[in-house]
Amino acid sequence: MANRAQIPTKNSALIAMIADEDTVVGFLLAGVGNVDLRRKTNYLIVDSKTTVKQIEDAFKEFTTREDIAIVLISQYVANMIRFLVDSYNKPVPAILEIPSKDHPYDPAHDSVLSRVKYLFSTESVASGRR
Amino acid sequence: MEERHLTVDQEPPQEAAEVVNRREVRLEPGAEEKLVLQFMDSLNSYLSFSHSLSSTLGQAWMELASARHSMGTARLNTSLLDLKFHPASTTLKITECDDDAKARFVLRKWVSPEEVGEDEDSNSTKSSVPADDDDEAVRRERAKSLSVFGILIPPKLRAAQQSFERALETLVEMANMQSSFLNSFHQLHQEVEDNKE
Repeated sequence: MANRAQIPTKNSALIAMIADEDTVVGFLLAGVGNVDLRRKTNYLIVDSKTTVKQIEDAFKEFTTREDIAIVLISQYVANMIRFLVDSYNKPVPAILEIPSKDHPYDPAHDSVLSRVKYLFSTESVASGRR
Repeated sequence: MEERHLTVDQEPPQEAAEVVNRREVRLEPGAEEKLVLQFMDSLNSYLSFSHSLSSTLGQAWMELASARHSMGTARLNTSLLDLKFHPASTTLKITECDDDAKARFVLRKWVSPEEVGEDEDSNSTKSSVPADDDDEAVRRERAKSLSVFGILIPPKLRAAQQSFERALETLVEMANMQSSFLNSFHQLHQEVEDNKE
């Protein structure tokens, strides 16, 4: 396929998180927390004081770091930066939208599912066949 | 005539590569159906895993809330998080599937910092399931993770930790399914574009 992205192979890549306090605390209990020598973490805790700019900056940082393989983002947080999440199309790190306590997961808003939805519309593969 | 052949041979490299790549992607009719099936299968699996994740996370949040109720809010919040240098105990191994050029993620749970250093230099194929010999090391890493919130850990917090570990396993499977259906989607999309031309 033309312009196929390179998959960077790595032995110990991190899982980044942009989510509410309980979700981040829970996954930190599961051992995914990482603090590097510059005291930079692989998570951002989103609360009522977190600005959209901070969320955007964290998303851009996590998606450009070479040591991160998956970015978990609560779907309600992803909705705040939907334009940024929609424009992301690299294979690694993978972006996974997850539910939060107060906001259940809605597949209709998922950026990745929206991208492939057109295959089920009138402009499907079947209509392109001779 | 010879000059014309030379001109063809001297196509700009990028265009030549695109022509070659388009020829590689041109699928036989049977292969196209197989790709569609692969797309539908992995998409269906992704959605199933996401339902399972919602259920697992719901249980995990409940256990966390219960632990917070017994420990008190002051003992279970993010202000206690350690910002000193420490590597993650649970990481991922990324490989590329040779036949499909799609990413594959493998979860590596409770790897000690020494093993992380060794594995960076080697092509270790340590599986996500720790060996029996490493049970003590796994217990130690789990306890270290819990110790951030004190020494006396209620059972509900341990249960929450296990639930979030299960959620992580589901998330890694979701990432693999996502990689699979996106790969199939891109190939099918390319096929549609090629048919239009």
